[in-house]
Amino acid sequence: MSDPEQKNPAAPTNGSNARAMEELHTPPMRLQFGPSHPATHGTVKITLDLEGEQVVWSEVEVGYLHRGFEKECETGYYYQNIPYTDRLNYSSPILNNVGYCMAVEKLFGIVTPPRCDYLRVIGGELSRLADHMLCIGASAMELAAFTPMLYLIEGRELMLDLVDALCGARVTTNFVRIGGVSADMPEGFREFAIERIDKALTLVEDANKLLTNNPVFRRRMEGTGYLSPKDLVAWGVTGPMLRAGGVPYDIRRVHPYLVYGDLDFEVPVGEHSDNFDRYLVRMAEIPQSRSMIVQCFDKLPGGPVNADDPRVRWPAKGRVFNRMEELIDQFKLVTEGGMAPVGEVYHAVEAANGELGFYIVSDGTGKPWKCRCRAPSFSNMSPLSKMITGGQLADVVPTFGMINMIGGECDR
Amino acid sequence: MTADNNGEKPAAPALPPLLRKVIDRLGAIVLEHKSAQGDDRINVARENILEAARMLRDDPELAFDLLLDVTAIDYLGQPDDFETNLQVWDQNRASMRRQPQRRHELVLPPRGPNPRFAVVYHLTSTAHLHVLRVKCRVPEDDPTIPSVTSLWPGANWLERETYDMYGIRFEGHPDLRRIYLYEEFVGHPLRKDYAKHGEQPIQEYVGPGAKEPRRPH
Amino acid sequence: MSNANPLLAILSGLWVSTRHFLRNLSRFARGRQDFAIHFPEQRLVQPPALRGMPVLVQMDNGKERCVACGLCEWACPTTCITIYPAETTDEVERYPQIFDIDMARCMFCGLCEEACPEEAIVMSRQIEIASYSRRGSLWHKQDLLVPVNQLKTRTDYLRRNYDR
Repeated sequence: MSDPEQKNPAAPTNGSNARAMEELHTPPMRLQFGPSHPATHGTVKITLDLEGEQVVWSEVEVGYLHRGFEKECETGYYYQNIPYTDRLNYSSPILNNVGYCMAVEKLFGIVTPPRCDYLRVIGGELSRLADHMLCIGASAMELAAFTPMLYLIEGRELMLDLVDALCGARVTTNFVRIGGVSADMPEGFREFAIERIDKALTLVEDANKLLTNNPVFRRRMEGTGYLSPKDLVAWGVTGPMLRAGGVPYDIRRVHPYLVYGDLDFEVPVGEHSDNFDRYLVRMAEIPQSRSMIVQCFDKLPGGPVNADDPRVRWPAKGRVFNRMEELIDQFKLVTEGGMAPVGEVYHAVEAANGELGFYIVSDGTGKPWKCRCRAPSFSNMSPLSKMITGGQLADVVPTFGMINMIGGECDR
Repeated sequence: MTADNNGEKPAAPALPPLLRKVIDRLGAIVLEHKSAQGDDRINVARENILEAARMLRDDPELAFDLLLDVTAIDYLGQPDDFETNLQVWDQNRASMRRQPQRRHELVLPPRGPNPRFAVVYHLTSTAHLHVLRVKCRVPEDDPTIPSVTSLWPGANWLERETYDMYGIRFEGHPDLRRIYLYEEFVGHPLRKDYAKHGEQPIQEYVGPGAKEPRRPH
Repeated sequence: MSNANPLLAILSGLWVSTRHFLRNLSRFARGRQDFAIHFPEQRLVQPPALRGMPVLVQMDNGKERCVACGLCEWACPTTCITIYPAETTDEVERYPQIFDIDMARCMFCGLCEEACPEEAIVMSRQIEIASYSRRGSLWHKQDLLVPVNQLKTRTDYLRRNYDR
């Protein structure tokens, strides 16, 4: 008996097959999971040590999509950085636009007109719908459920058609401007949007029927990726992951921005803090977003969509063509970027994955001295190693899928 | 310390309730505080950051249990943190305007007397829902600061990122490595003296199998 | 819902996908054609807001409307526009001698169009800009000029937002 003990001092001795474990024990197998693995939607490398199927040690490595977003922002004018924010979370770009522009508006002290706020909420919630559909569909596909992926991607396409009609691009939206939005919504957009959203929601309902009660799906999702609510908060996790742990922390509710204070919506929370509750929270947020969009259409006021603030918002084109003062204003704003007041602001919005904050330090020029993006995916990814260690290898995939790590946002 | 509190008393009506509470609890640890544009900020010395962070987290009235963000600011060539000495900064600013011919180059003014870096923490509380910004100045010749990983495990990656981007070493961090860039990378790219278009050759791979072709040509 | 019978759940899932199949089959039998867009022959109907590649507006006299003020060059985040202005004896006095857009760098953000004080550079509906070489993605002034009547959709869309 002493020989195997010496060979493997760390061999487990509990359980009924302790003797077999002692004799058959081999050193842990090192498995490189990623960087581009078909079962992950995101470029990330996970190094795993496996004892059989069990993960005994893991390390997560991000940074494969690092593009220097913050360095790039420091060399561009405030308005030039808006297209770059599309590339942060590329499955819900309007929310990033809103986050960045609201941070800059907070720095300038601009109050946007109500119609602009409503349009931003409409665009943002459309993006959130698309993001949740993509997250659920891709996660289901990674668990080998291919059909819901087809339905949900079709639903996402319908959402992207709406975004396309709203701002002229499906993914690289560049919709929101500092102090306004790029264009008013097209005519007949309300009916078009509600019809499309309802069509997409029937597809979500189909996916719901396929997934929620499916025993295979539930067994892979329930109880995996558990992290206690206290740990979730300590690790800086926000968004649907935190709400699945029972903490009702939603920026739209706790620090209402834009018109979220006027809208009637629920913040769905889970209780088990596992992957299945994360899935359920996302599923429950989809009808909430639909309800918010309908409320916004009902309450949508008339009036301008741009703040009349000559410090930063470019003058209307009709006046630029015909009047000298606005022409000079246009030249000054484009070439100097609008001089920001000195100061520093942090503003957070609720993106699809959690709290998306922008911390902007201004030195009084037209360019930010520092533009920091507090990316939700980055903070949500950091406890992944803790969540998967001790579990099974197969649990890595749903856990990673429900974190919904977006490389562009996590690696910036 | 009473002297500090006495000094703050005249400004008391303008002080937001959160800052009042924080200053009451932390006392002399708070070197400086400011409330502007809706954000509350305190400055602490870097030796006291761990103590301040622990008090901020454990006090039931404050209960900053969620560390949102850790980052740093490089105040290279800047006299102070853009809030005092504006005249000096205005003089320096002219040379920093972007010229059309060299749009992405920075002409940096000479260095100022204050510590170059500031490490910035953003804290919030899931119970009281207030947000606080904590700032610590860190000098250039000794860019170290105690790590808060022991209080908030989520600071792990955020501090690694700050180290990667600014070269600030967090003492007591369990695993201080670069997170985005590769280990052979020279310099820290978000420092203001790192040129944006600076290129670094990718280090040649010298590990096992290095001589074999990676893919058939 | 957590206590649902697993067999029932699987059967209801099967019914969902069967329903989709039958619906698609019946539509196919009734002659529905839009399962796929056969791309070069058929095109998607794009909304009027579509931002394609930026082009220069060509006036009726065959010249560009651009006066080479350089605002689009300033506004471009990726610095993909290159303008060399020159003088002319026309009414506008200035014209771009060289106007190049590097489409490999352009990200179709539309800031050039928004910055332009003359409505001389607009985002067209052209999105097929692939080329066989990198040099092919450098578009010169002559390639970029598009007659103004072909850009009516976009200019109408822009004029709708003139007053905002």
